[in-house]
Amino acid sequence: MTDILRSWIGGALPDWLIVLIAYLLVTIIVLFYAVGNFILMVWAERRVVARMQDRLGPNRVGPAGLLQPIADAVKMFTKEDIVPRSADRWVHLLAPIVSLAPVAMMLAVVPWGRGWEPIDLHVALLYIVAVSAVSGVGLMMAGWGSNNKFALLGAMRAVAQLVSYEIPAVTALLTVVVLAGGMSLLGLPYLQAGVPLMGATILCGDPAGCSPLLYTTITSFPGSANEPVQALDLGLGWWVFTPVGLLGFIVFFIAALAEGERTPFDIPEADSEIVAGYMTEYSGMKFATFYIAQYILNFALSALAATAFLGGWQGPGVAALANMGGPWVHVAAALSGFYLLAKIWILFFVMIWLRGAFPRLRVDQLMDFAWKLLLPLALVNIVSASLMVGLTQWTGAQWGGLISLDGFAPWQRQLIAILVTAIINIAATYWILSINQRPTQEEWDEELVIAP
Amino acid sequence: MNTLITILFVIFAALILTSAIMTVTVRNIVHAALWLISSFFGVGALYLLMEAEFLGVAQVLIYVGAVSILILFAIMLTRDLEGSQNRQLTPRWWIALIVPAALFGLLIVPTVMTHAWQLPPPPLAGQPPAISGAQQIGTAFMREYLLPFEVAAILLLVAMIGAIVIAFEERERRRRVLTLAEQVRLRQQQQQPAPRPEPAATAIQASEATGSET
Repeated sequence: MTDILRSWIGGALPDWLIVLIAYLLVTIIVLFYAVGNFILMVWAERRVVARMQDRLGPNRVGPAGLLQPIADAVKMFTKEDIVPRSADRWVHLLAPIVSLAPVAMMLAVVPWGRGWEPIDLHVALLYIVAVSAVSGVGLMMAGWGSNNKFALLGAMRAVAQLVSYEIPAVTALLTVVVLAGGMSLLGLPYLQAGVPLMGATILCGDPAGCSPLLYTTITSFPGSANEPVQALDLGLGWWVFTPVGLLGFIVFFIAALAEGERTPFDIPEADSEIVAGYMTEYSGMKFATFYIAQYILNFALSALAATAFLGGWQGPGVAALANMGGPWVHVAAALSGFYLLAKIWILFFVMIWLRGAFPRLRVDQLMDFAWKLLLPLALVNIVSASLMVGLTQWTGAQWGGLISLDGFAPWQRQLIAILVTAIINIAATYWILSINQRPTQEEWDEELVIAP
Repeated sequence: MNTLITILFVIFAALILTSAIMTVTVRNIVHAALWLISSFFGVGALYLLMEAEFLGVAQVLIYVGAVSILILFAIMLTRDLEGSQNRQLTPRWWIALIVPAALFGLLIVPTVMTHAWQLPPPPLAGQPPAISGAQQIGTAFMREYLLPFEVAAILLLVAMIGAIVIAFEERERRRRVLTLAEQVRLRQQQQQPAPRPEPAATAIQASEATGSET
């Protein structure tokens, strides 16, 4: 974006102003993209849940109810803004802003398509985790500032859930850091090129005879000492197809459900227990701000899960179009943007589906689930990921002479690594699940109480 | 670019100082915690200004995301938040002012005097500027500073185990609510003429007594 602006109006304005304008433009585009998706997500959620519950859902405003969000927005804007008399006025006002701002900041580092990257941050994964933790402060402010018991209870539940599910989520993301060898999000889709399961390890035998539609030159190919190689690339070498990526994706997606307060984990706003949690005392646009924050958080977490495990914008045809050069690069960019959006929407549909299918967990079940199941699985997965990297990329010298795989072709090493990690992951998953399903031993005398 | 960075530095410095002063002067403890958070943010922004991305992000993650949320948790569960009758100054406030100021001066004066400061740091000649620093920090922790790193890790582990030991109530007996089927079975047993006093019935009466207490 900066370069385009420089070529257009480079002479007329000082350089720092051009940089500033470019950043502002990108920010506006990304925010509009997210809010447009938010509007569609609200509509889709209401319609799909209605379909699952054998209802109709909103279908009056516009074709199939598509304009319902606009009617909702008009209602939200014209609603009276009520602040309880005993509330802390400033904290009550700032809370929705503090919870929305970090969520919007998460969108800045996601690569939305091939070459559509707002900011290249070297610590992007850590940045997303850090920024999403900040929104907990906003929830706390809402809960305390409302001066309402239910709001405070909801805020406590929300923050406890956020803090404890951050640990499995971050541990699952660590596998991605190990596999990618860095915390940048931009490189992740490039690393997930190739074919399912094997990744970009099926090399071209004859450099002259390989069609650029099927084979891509990959410079950061693991294990090749940074020589550019020609590898078979269908854009499907997503990490979710490998055992390590599959386990990591499952753990991360469940933790993301809890962080986004989606239904099996919607304890903080359990409306049958504590009204609406921390949002109890909010009305009008302040309530809508919380609502937007929640949906954009779901959107951003889906985008992160898609980028980290589902290949991001990678898909069949993107690399082929990009290799054709010329104007086709822009077509490839548009196609890759569509792929990422499709993946985000599929993940969001799974979220809606879970909402239609599962009841709410109890608080103790929630904590047990995080600490006894997700965290051990994620820890085992880190070991598997390290083995995967070691088996596919390390030379015999790096192993210290322990194992030497130097004589094998890349695809053979990849196959060995997949076998080893699959055995480890399946065994560990089976073992941890069986431990968790074992009935607790009676370690103490029980005193029996009749339910009141 | 340098003037822009200087302006940003002044803005962030003013933010940090204002927030810090508000933190210690505001009477409401929750407000003090919120001002503290804004001060932490300012420090994170200063790190980013020095192109230490990793440190800046870690500052936000640890201080804003974890420490201040714990502080807020602890404060919100206490009473008397307004603290209208709490004193803000002790009689010997000037000692409390002098000692930290002297210690801070001992640290800061030699550092400022002996180091040439520049924002942003000039890139080393012949090398691309090291932007993230995450890899350098990781290498340093795993090689040169391995012992302090491990000692800090063990300290944190001990603190965590201690917290669990303190919080975990030692229970000899656990109370369990009967399921519906067990209740029905017990009621049937009670309705039948009992040949001898059943232990189950006494247990239930005892538990009913304790249940009404709680």
